[in-house]
Order: sequence, then structure tokens, then C-alpha cells
Amino acid sequence: MKTINKIILGIGLLGITYSCTDLEEDLVGDLTSDFSVEGISTGGSGGGGDALTGVFNAVRNAGTANHGGYFSVQSVSSDEMAVTQKGGDWYDGGVWLDMHRHTFTPANGPVTGTWSQQYGSIGQVNNAISNGGLDANQMAQAKVVRAYLHWRLMDLYGNIVIADGSGSSSQSSRSAVFSWIEGELLSALGMGSSFDISKVSGSALGTNDVKYRINQYSALGILAKLYLNAEVYSGSDRYADAATAAGYIIDNGPYTLSDSSVSVPNLGKRPSVASDPSTLTGYAAIFASNNENNPEIIWSVEYDEATAGGMNFHHMTLHYASQYTWNFEAQPWNGYVALEEFVNSYDAGDARKKANFISGPQLDYGGNALVDLASDSPTPEIVYSLGINELEPNGARTGGYRLGKFSFKQFARPDLDNDYPIVRLGDIHLIHAEASARAAGNWALALPEVNAIRARAGVSALSSITADQFLAERGREMFQEASRRTDLIRFGKWGSSWWEKTNSDSYRTVFPIPTEQLTANPNLQQNSGY
Amino acid sequence: MGVALAFLFSGVLSAQQISGNISDETGPLPGATVIVSGTNTGTVADFDGNYSISANAGDVLVFSFVGFTAQEVSVGNQDTINIVLVPSNELEEVLVTGYGSQQQKEITSAVVSVGSESFNKGAINDASELLQGKVAGLTIYNRGGNPNASSTIRLRGLSTIGANSSPLVVIDGVVGASLDNVDPSDIESFNVLKDASAAAIYGSRGSSGVLLVTTKKGQAGVSELTYSGQFSTSGVANQIDVMSPGEFVAAGGRDLGSQTDWLDSVTRQAFTQIHNVSASGGAGNSTYRVSANLREAEGILDNSGFDQFNARLNFTTTALNDKLKIQLNTSFTQRDQENGWNESLRYATLYNPTAPIYAVDSPYAFNGAQFGGYFETLGLFDSYNPVSIINQNINNGERRTVNYGLNLTYEVTDNITAYFTTANQSNDYANRIYFRTTSLWNNNDNYGGADSPVRKGAAEIYEQNSDFQLNELYATWKKSTENMNLTVTAGYSYQKENFNQVFFSLGDFPGDEIDYIDAIEYSQDLLNAGQVSANSDKNPDTEIDAFFARLNMTINNNIFINASLRREGSTKLGADNRYGTFPSISIGADLAQMLDLSGVQQLKPRISYGVTGNLPQGVGLAQEIRGWSWGGGGSSGGSTNLLRAANPDLKWEEKSELNFGIDLTMDKFSASLDVYQQETKDLILNRVVDAAIYGFDRRFENAGTISSDGFELALNYDVSDNWNTGIVLSSNKATLDEYVQDADTFGNLGSPGQNSTNVTRVKVGEQIGQLWGPVWDGTVTNGSQNFRDLNGDGQLVVGQNNALDDNVDFAVLGNGIPDFEIGWSNQITIGEYTINAFFRGAFGHSLVNTFRAFYEPRVGSQKSYNYINTELANNDIKNANFSSLYVEEADFFKLDNLTISRPVTGNIMLSLNVRNAFVITDYTGSDPEPALFDLLDGNLLAPGIDRRNSWYSSRSFTLGLNVKF
Repeated sequence: MKTINKIILGIGLLGITYSCTDLEEDLVGDLTSDFSVEGISTGGSGGGGDALTGVFNAVRNAGTANHGGYFSVQSVSSDEMAVTQKGGDWYDGGVWLDMHRHTFTPANGPVTGTWSQQYGSIGQVNNAISNGGLDANQMAQAKVVRAYLHWRLMDLYGNIVIADGSGSSSQSSRSAVFSWIEGELLSALGMGSSFDISKVSGSALGTNDVKYRINQYSALGILAKLYLNAEVYSGSDRYADAATAAGYIIDNGPYTLSDSSVSVPNLGKRPSVASDPSTLTGYAAIFASNNENNPEIIWSVEYDEATAGGMNFHHMTLHYASQYTWNFEAQPWNGYVALEEFVNSYDAGDARKKANFISGPQLDYGGNALVDLASDSPTPEIVYSLGINELEPNGARTGGYRLGKFSFKQFARPDLDNDYPIVRLGDIHLIHAEASARAAGNWALALPEVNAIRARAGVSALSSITADQFLAERGREMFQEASRRTDLIRFGKWGSSWWEKTNSDSYRTVFPIPTEQLTANPNLQQNSGY
Repeated sequence: MGVALAFLFSGVLSAQQISGNISDETGPLPGATVIVSGTNTGTVADFDGNYSISANAGDVLVFSFVGFTAQEVSVGNQDTINIVLVPSNELEEVLVTGYGSQQQKEITSAVVSVGSESFNKGAINDASELLQGKVAGLTIYNRGGNPNASSTIRLRGLSTIGANSSPLVVIDGVVGASLDNVDPSDIESFNVLKDASAAAIYGSRGSSGVLLVTTKKGQAGVSELTYSGQFSTSGVANQIDVMSPGEFVAAGGRDLGSQTDWLDSVTRQAFTQIHNVSASGGAGNSTYRVSANLREAEGILDNSGFDQFNARLNFTTTALNDKLKIQLNTSFTQRDQENGWNESLRYATLYNPTAPIYAVDSPYAFNGAQFGGYFETLGLFDSYNPVSIINQNINNGERRTVNYGLNLTYEVTDNITAYFTTANQSNDYANRIYFRTTSLWNNNDNYGGADSPVRKGAAEIYEQNSDFQLNELYATWKKSTENMNLTVTAGYSYQKENFNQVFFSLGDFPGDEIDYIDAIEYSQDLLNAGQVSANSDKNPDTEIDAFFARLNMTINNNIFINASLRREGSTKLGADNRYGTFPSISIGADLAQMLDLSGVQQLKPRISYGVTGNLPQGVGLAQEIRGWSWGGGGSSGGSTNLLRAANPDLKWEEKSELNFGIDLTMDKFSASLDVYQQETKDLILNRVVDAAIYGFDRRFENAGTISSDGFELALNYDVSDNWNTGIVLSSNKATLDEYVQDADTFGNLGSPGQNSTNVTRVKVGEQIGQLWGPVWDGTVTNGSQNFRDLNGDGQLVVGQNNALDDNVDFAVLGNGIPDFEIGWSNQITIGEYTINAFFRGAFGHSLVNTFRAFYEPRVGSQKSYNYINTELANNDIKNANFSSLYVEEADFFKLDNLTISRPVTGNIMLSLNVRNAFVITDYTGSDPEPALFDLLDGNLLAPGIDRRNSWYSSRSFTLGLNVKF
């Protein structure tokens, strides 16, 4: 019996031992809040990077150059491009048709996703800011990026929440957000509370060009864009300040237009297709796969096929069979197409037309015609046509020119290599021209810079210019750079009708606040009209 | 050793040979046992009920069989003893319940027992299918005929959204064991604990019900060696209709010059064989049973199926003057499976029927060598040769499961017994996938296919293993007085689980000489940054700590009271809310005893109430989680990014349930009715939160309530001496009472062309499972369906973006969850033949037929794919737009299982079985069985979608052979 008692005692002890477990969950396969790498704590960066790596990755991850997010919402809602429904393909619940026709609702998936992506990225930036370790220059860069992401949100949705890390979830009016963004940018530029270009020398930001990072010129470029649209955002215009900011970049920055003196090897060339140029020059070079050293780029988002994925214009726009033109690793999706009217605004000899669009008969790597066995036409050869038969339901599979500005290299992977410029000198010239003209009430003031841009594109100078002509020029230059929607609104053309779209109400100049956000944050009021 | 002893004894003591027949009033009782009382000599009746045993005059023979009262006969001079056994009082049968057992009559909650005699028959590889349709309220579905798919098991509908919705499985007292590690032929019985009061003793893991499995054991004195074999052939039972080559060309399809029946090209008449051998017996105070089970199953899809070996040992002995009982159970399963590719079936449905299989038959110049000799329609979206898919690519799995359990039972005093259980189960699974360099198709956009100029072929390697450890200690104290029996149980349970997995993929292999899955060092991806994809996870030890107590009281042998309490903590929850308390109480009274009703053995109304918890499946849900990425942002370094915001308040999902039942037992008729109401609150959901506050817009919160009510009815009737029939009926309706928002949609149809098209809706205050969309008015304009203006406001609002708007013209097009399910069993004896016919049906559910929604419209630009062509097809519709047209009522009634068996000799029984013999349904898809969750992503709020990844249903014929040696 003694033995038995021992057994029972043993069993009892076993139970007691186990019951002393503290039930603490110690995650071994996940990084948690108390994580750090070589002294750089949560929210920062490590392993050889600096504390801003995450900040700039956050911009890349905010839908900058991929399907379904910021780029798509900003572009498909404009008169640049559309995603046509191709019979059984690309209907997708009508979200892209709604985007095109301005009939989007608070439940629209891309409208919803774009909101959360921007706030997600802002959260990353706030982490870097609040976790310390940033020097004054880095702090200024982080705040500029955060202001830029807020600008996207304010431009898209109007009244938003300012996520400055304070944890407040109250909604601010569009003009209050405008003032806050302005203040953040001014502070980073060393200007205190009001715009004064003479104080920029006191900025914590540098003046040298550091790839993918923010210097004074990048920040001024963002500020110039903000001021250019100030009337839309706050009710009072700031054209003079916009012109001053842009002018300062032009006069003082180490940037030059990418003209005929700038050329890079054409990585998309097919050896057996003689018409493929061996180099890309001027305008085309700004957006090429090997554009990282282009002298016109002031601030760009880094994309890389291996280490900085996310850009997939080739999949978004090309026909399935175009895979064989560039030897892509994976099949494209045949979605985005340029609108005929927009393409027609280019002169025949405009270098930008050739650079921006992929058109006509398509050949494979060896120079043979590409075919589509399910072609709508009796002949199966693939020819991207200028005209598109209809937006829906049976848009032709080869209808519409394709988005070619960020040109594709041979053997491209699912992620492209081209960097995506957010601030570039060509745009700054046009901002300067427009702001100067508007400030003075005289569009003729825009002519010299417009003609400089035109000259680079190989088209003749204009002798006079109207607001509409300026908008058209800006459109030709800025195609596929997520600028068109904002420009159309500023020029009062957003509600106009265009191909397969009727006039839209003025409340459509801002998107609705996503339903799921209204649920998550009771402080949010829906925009009027929705 | 036991076997040897038994043989030895039977040899020595042999004096006189006695034989005879054991039967009941309806016929022979094969398997009944005869034991010489007080010895280890015994035998078993053969298939004709005949036995033979040697005994000495003066010995007492004990004849017994489960469910019958044992009889004793003294041996005199006779050499023949025929015995007719009388059924025992089933109310006194002992049922296993949580941490103990009770007599049938004492049970006051919803508990159902199913013995092996009632199991479904035929070539059943998945243990849960033995029970399909047999228990009211227990829903088991296995859509399609994939031999490697496990069944969906759901008890009393849906009571959680984010936690485990399958019942807890307890095998021989081992909580949390896997049904995959018990061969169906080794199972003696299932006890199903349906309501919360029965399951509450299992606390957090009992919320979705409990399945108690008892495996077969040996019996002292009765040595048995048995073999059973099953030989089965199965084929496609039903396929979705597509156009013939002629119809396709006439409809404008591109003619590629051949005529190919693609489905026929990738499916087969599949052969399955199952062999089970078991030996059991016992001597002295020890009993044993060992079994070995071999299964070789082919799927109806080419290159699919599995080989499985399972062995099990159950050993029981006693020590210390029989005060200590030691029970050891161990089992082992090794399974090699060819998973095949369901995509092969999908593309077999929609591939151009005029396309040739092989490149040599191509109508135009085609480089077949690049594609392994197969033809491909290059340059089309989502178009792949199905024969190439299934023949060229490898998808193999290997699973190994080992478990052991040790139970010690010690009688401390006459009325105190202590129990100790320790058990461990470990499970390893490895998956090897290889896409050949000549396969155009693969399953990932990031892999190069055969048409990739630089990067062909891809390999995936996946390994996971999990370990589960259980330690339990409890004791019971019994007290009996003249009119009261009392049992008190109290104990402690500790459970620990861990899990880890490793995955990586790489590609770009040199050629086709070998399958490079076994030579991944030749991958060129190893030289290129960013091409190799890899991840590994290790979960921390997730632990559960629980104390429990229970009281069973019987008053006057006709009033029964049971109560239990469990306090339990888990690592998975927020630091502030780790522990929960789960009580239950139930009471019943036998009116038949109290009122002395004649002809009625039992009339027991009972009422019960209980609370159970449910834990989320993931780990770290309460914590802040970050990811890490290298590069980007102008730096070669790395950075972290937030993936989830913390929630230290995360707590248990809590389900409470009220059950009212009544059991009636009469001579030839029995009935059991249960009506219940359950509510789960604090559902754990990954919800959108304000990113400005949390820095990220998602975290796990307790937000939401589901309630459901239902009833279950089980009837059993002896129509005549040779026909027994039983019906089970059940109904359950689950309602979403609270949710993070007023309404939401799920179940995206997907590519091509139907992204952002959610076909299910949930709405606060309404039933779960709604299929939601526009209603086609029967007319077509310019190739598009016209929809109804349902609210009559003169405005047609049918965009998916408007799905939740007040003015939307959408309607509930059906519900994915059946209203009503029925199982009807019949056993008929005609002479030596026994016929089991089991019918099963489900009513009130609908399915979105996605094959039709995508491929039935006569889309002009799709003329190189085949068209679905059911009786519902409308040739005027030329573009794809989800609507009521693609939602079909899927009520069905089927002869699910028909078996005819007869003994050939006393030692050999033969049976013939048909599964899925015929189905009555209007559904035009392959299988009308309900889809209880989204078959793509497992979302429990998106039932009712018949996805394109489904297998075709199969029909099988099985010849069964049972031999007793």
C-alpha cells in the first residue's frame, strides 16, 4: 500500500506541477512589440538599413503602381484610361465600370482598399517617428512622407482623420487637413508657420539628390502640388506660392530635363525586330526599367523585381499573348486600356505618344505575329486598336492602346524594375507655368515652359495657349502618373462627359468614405451626396 | 502471450465437445460469445450463430452478446445447447460520457450512441462517414469523390465564425485525438454529446459538440482472429453538362479539328481495396486486441488516391488485487497520398472540345516538345490542357500519426476511484509538389510555366508537424442510499499543443530527365535574388489548464440530476482575460416509472442548460504582430511593418444552450425529441478598426453574437420481426444577432471577370447563409440579362457596389444551409440475407453553380473555351453577370448506402454494397450536397457556393468479405 500511496502522491504532484503554468503566450515565430534588431526597436529598420527604410517602403506599399489601389482609383476614374469588361472577363462586380462612370459607392472595393492602404502606410511612418532614433533630417523626411500620404487621402476623400500618432480619431474638414499638411511641410522646410522661401536654407532637409529620399526639392515639389490645388481644398487659391515653390526647384535644384542627351539601353528590345530601338532617349528614358539615374527625377519610389516588388503595369494592361513579346515569366491579365479620345490628343509625331502607348500589330520575340485563338475578329492576329467597341459587356479583347509608359524589359518578372517618379522636373515646370499663369490671370505666361516640354517631345511650339490647351498638354505629359483626376477637378472638367461616361455631379469630386471605416470609427461623417 | 495461454488451457481441460446455435427471436446472433464460467475458455458464434466449445460436466456456460441479457447453462451430458437470448433492458446500458459513464436511463442531456451494427457500410475510409446521416443534428458532408478530402462535421449548426466549428473528438478518453488515426474498422461505437450541458465538462473545446469514440477491445477467454476485405470500384456519378464538339462549333467556337472527351480523358474507373486483420482475446486479468489495416484507394481522377497502413493495440490488465486497472492504447498510421490536381477536373469541364490531347494532332505548327508532347492553346487566359496537368505534375503527400494513451484506474476505497490519463499524439505531414518544365500550367503566378523563356519548372516543399500532450487526473466518489445514488467527480486537465511548419518553393530547372523535386540543388532560382520563396512558422506551446467537477444524482431511480463546472485558462487569449468558467445543469424524470405506465419502459422529459467556450484557431491573436522586409526605400537594409494591433482584452467565445428533450421507449417503438436554443456571444473576429488609433486597421476583437434554434427527432420501429426502420430528422436555423456592422457580403466569385462579386450576405437579425444578388426577369436585351426592379422605385440598382444599399434591387436568392435533414435506415432480414438500405436527404438549401455563372453565358470572346450547357442555359445571354439564374435549389434525396449480405459458410460472410446508388435532385451541378462554408477559403459566413475546385461525385460498388478463423 505504501507504493500505491507514492503513486497517488506522484500523480498528484504531477497535476500540481502542470497547474503552475502561467499560461503566458511566448511567440517564437512572430515579431512582436518588444522586438529589436541591434538597438533599432520596433517600427524602425535594421540589418544595415537606416530607420527610414520602412518609411519609404510604406509609400511603395500604398498602391502607388499596382492594380486595385491608389493608382487605379486615381486613373480609371479619369479620361485617361479604363478597364473595359471583356465578355466573361473584368466585370468584377462592376467596380471598374462604376469607377469609370463615377457611380462608385461607399462599398466600392478599390475605394475601400485605397483608404486602408494609405492609413496603413501612415501607421508605418508614425511608428518610425514615435520609436525615436531619427535625427532631425530623418524626422523631417518622415514627416514629409506622412504629409504626402495625408495629401493623397485629403485629395481623394476630403474630410479625413489626421493620423499624427496622437491616437485621436476625430474627423477634420478638408481645409483643416490642408492647413495641417501645409504646416508639416513648412516645418520640415524650416519655414515655421507661413510660406517663406527665403527660410528654406534653415531646413533640416538636405539639398543633395539622394535616391528615393526626400530633400528640400522633393518637399517643395509636394508643397507646390498642394498649393496648386489649394482652391479646391480650402476655397482660397495659393497660385503665387505654388509658382514660387516650383520656381525655386527649377532655379536651385541639381535637376535637368531628360532631353535628347539622356539615353539608356532599351532593355525591352527584341534582337530580331529591327523596329525596336536599341536605346530609349529623352522622355522615354524617364520611365524605363533602368531609370534610376535619370536627371529629371526629384523623388521617386523604388521598385525592384527582387527586393522592392509591387509594380505590375505589364500584367495590368497587356493581352495574355503579349507575354511572348517580352518573354514575361507569367501571363498578363488584359485589363487596362487607354481611351481613344485621350490618345487622339497627341500629335502624330509626339515622342510621348510612342512612349506612352503600345499599339497596332503585336509580334512575339522572334518577330512573328501574336495570335488570340479566342479573338473577336475573324483573323486571330493581335492588333491593339485605337478605338474600343464598348466599355461593357463585350469590350474587344484587343480594343484600345495599352499602357506602355513604364516600359517593359525582356524577361521581366511579375514585379517590374522601373522606379515610379512622384516629383519630377517636367511636372514641376508645368506646375510653375500653370501657377504663374493663374496667379497673373494670363495663360500666355505658361507658353515658354509648355513649349520647352513640347520641344522635348518633338512637337512644334504653340504660339498661344488656353486653359483647355494647357490641360491637354499636361495630360499628354503626365499620362499614367496618377495626376489626371486631380487635374480634371482643378480645371472643372471632372464632371464632364467622355467616352461611355455622362456628366457626374459635383459631389463626386471626392470619393465616399468607405462603409467599413464608418463602422470602425463613429466619429466619421460620410461626405455629402453619398 | 495471451493467445498462447488461451490455447494451452483449452487444450488441457478439454473433456467434452458442446456445440449449438445462439439466436434471438429474429435469427442467429453471429459474434455472441460463450465462456466457461470461471475460466479463460471461450468462443464466438460464427456467421450462422453456431458455436462449438469443449467443457467438463458441471461447468457453467455463459452465453452473452451486447444488448442481450446473458444466460447461464450448466453442462450435463448434452452435446448440443441451443440458446435464444433475450434483449437486455437498453435503459441499463452503460454509455461513455465525459470523464465517466452513465446508464442510458440516467442521461439528462442530448446524448446519442451509435454502435458498429448501425454504421454505414461499404468502402469507407474516413471514420466520420460511418456516422453520416445516423445522428439527428450531426451533419457530415464530403462533397465530391476526392479520397483525400476529409469530411466537414458540424453539430447543431453554426455556433462560431472564427473558432473551431468541428466537434471535439475524444478517442478512448483521449481528448483532442484525431479521427485520421483510427481505422474505421476498429471503431466499436460513437457517443455524440450534442448539447452544451453534456459538453460543458470539456469546456473550451466542447462548444461545437463532442464525439466520443470507443475502439474495439478484447474479451477475456475469447480468442478471435478475423479478416475482413473490401474490394471496390468507383466512377464519376454525375458531371456537369457541356457542349459536344459539334454543338461547340455550331455555337461559334473555334474548331481545332479534333474531338476530345476531356472528362473521360482525365478520369477512370477507380479500384480500392481494404484489408483488416485483427486478433483479440485475453487470459487471466489481461485482455488485448491488435489490428492491422491496409487501404489502397484510387480516386476517380487519374493519378490520385492513397495507400494507408494503420495498426492499433489495446491492452488492459490489472494489478494490486485488481484494484489498479492499467489500460494502454496505441496506434500508428502511415499514409502516402497522391493528391492529384482538382484543376484537371475544372479544365476538363471547360477546355475546347475540339482541341487535341497531343501536340502531334495540332491543326497548326506547334512545338510539342516544349510542352511534353501535349497540345496547348497558347495566349488564352486560364486555358490549360487538363491531361497535361494531371499527367505531368506531382502533388504527393505523406502523413504519419502516432499516438499512445495510458489510463490508470485505481480503487482507493470502495467508493472512491482515481483516474489518471496521459496521452500523446504526434502528426507529421509532408507535401511535395513539382511542376515539370514542360507543364504550361502551375498554381502560382510567380512560377514560370513551360512557355516561360527563362524559368521553367517549379518545386514546392512543405512539412508540418504537430504534437499534442494530455495529462488528466480525476477521482469519483460514489454514495448510495436506499433512494438515492450520488456520484461526485472532480479533476484537473492539462493540454499542450504545438505546431510548426516549413515551406519553400523554387524553380527554373534544367530539363525533364528527372523530377527535380528530388534534386532542388539544380534550381537556377538559387542564383537569382528574390526568386526562392520560403517561410517557416513555429507556434508557441498553446496550453490549456482546467479544473472540473461534476455531480450525478439519481433519486428514487426515476429523477436524475446532473451538474458540472469547469474553470479553464488558455494561452491564446488576452493577458487580462485568460480564464473562463463554464457551468451546466440538467434534470430529467422518468414518468414511466413514476406513473407506472404499462407497455412503456421509459418516458423521460429532461431539461438542460450549459455554457461552453470556444477558442480561436490561431495563436498570437491578442498580441501586436509585425512583419519584416528587406530592401526597398533606397536601402539595402530592412524594416518592420505592423500586421496586427494588440488586444489584451481578447476573451473566450461563450456559448450557452438550453435543451429540452423527451425520450420514449416502448416494446417495438422508441422516439427521442430534442428542442434547443443556443447563443454564442463574444465571437472572435478580425475586424476593421480605426487605423488612426491603433496604427493598423485590423485587430482581433470579441464582437458579435450568433444564436440558433432547432429540433431533432429520432424514431425507431420494429415493423415486423424482420424489418427494423429508423428515421432521424433535424433542423437548425442560425441567426446573426450582433456583428461589427449591420450587414456584410462574402464569397467573391473571382476571376475571370467576377471579382468584387460577393454572392453571400449576412445581416444582423437575419438567418446566416443568405445568397444575395439581383433577380433575372427572364428576358435578355443585347446579350445581357434584365433584372427586376424589386422595390418598384423605378430605378434599377443592381451594381455589386450597391449590394448593401437600402435601395438595392437585390434579393435573398436562397440559403446555403439546409432547413431540414433526414436519414432513413432500414434493416430487412430475408432468410439468410440481410439488407441494409439507407436513404439520406437535405432540403431547403441552394447552391451557386459557379461553373454555370462563369461559363454558361455565350460570351463571344470566349470561343475557345467550352460552354456549360445545362437545361437552364439561355443562348441569348452573352456576358457573365451573377444573378438568380445561377442559384439553384439543391434539395436532394438519395439512396446513399445499400448493402446485401449473407453468410456463405459459418466462417465466411459476403456482402455487396452500393454507395450513392441514386440521387433525386433538380440541381444541375455535379453534387447537390450542401457546401457549409466557402470551399475556397473556409469562410463560415459564405456557405452555398459550389466552387470550381469541387470534385465530381462518385458512385462505388463494393464486395465485402468477412472471415473468422
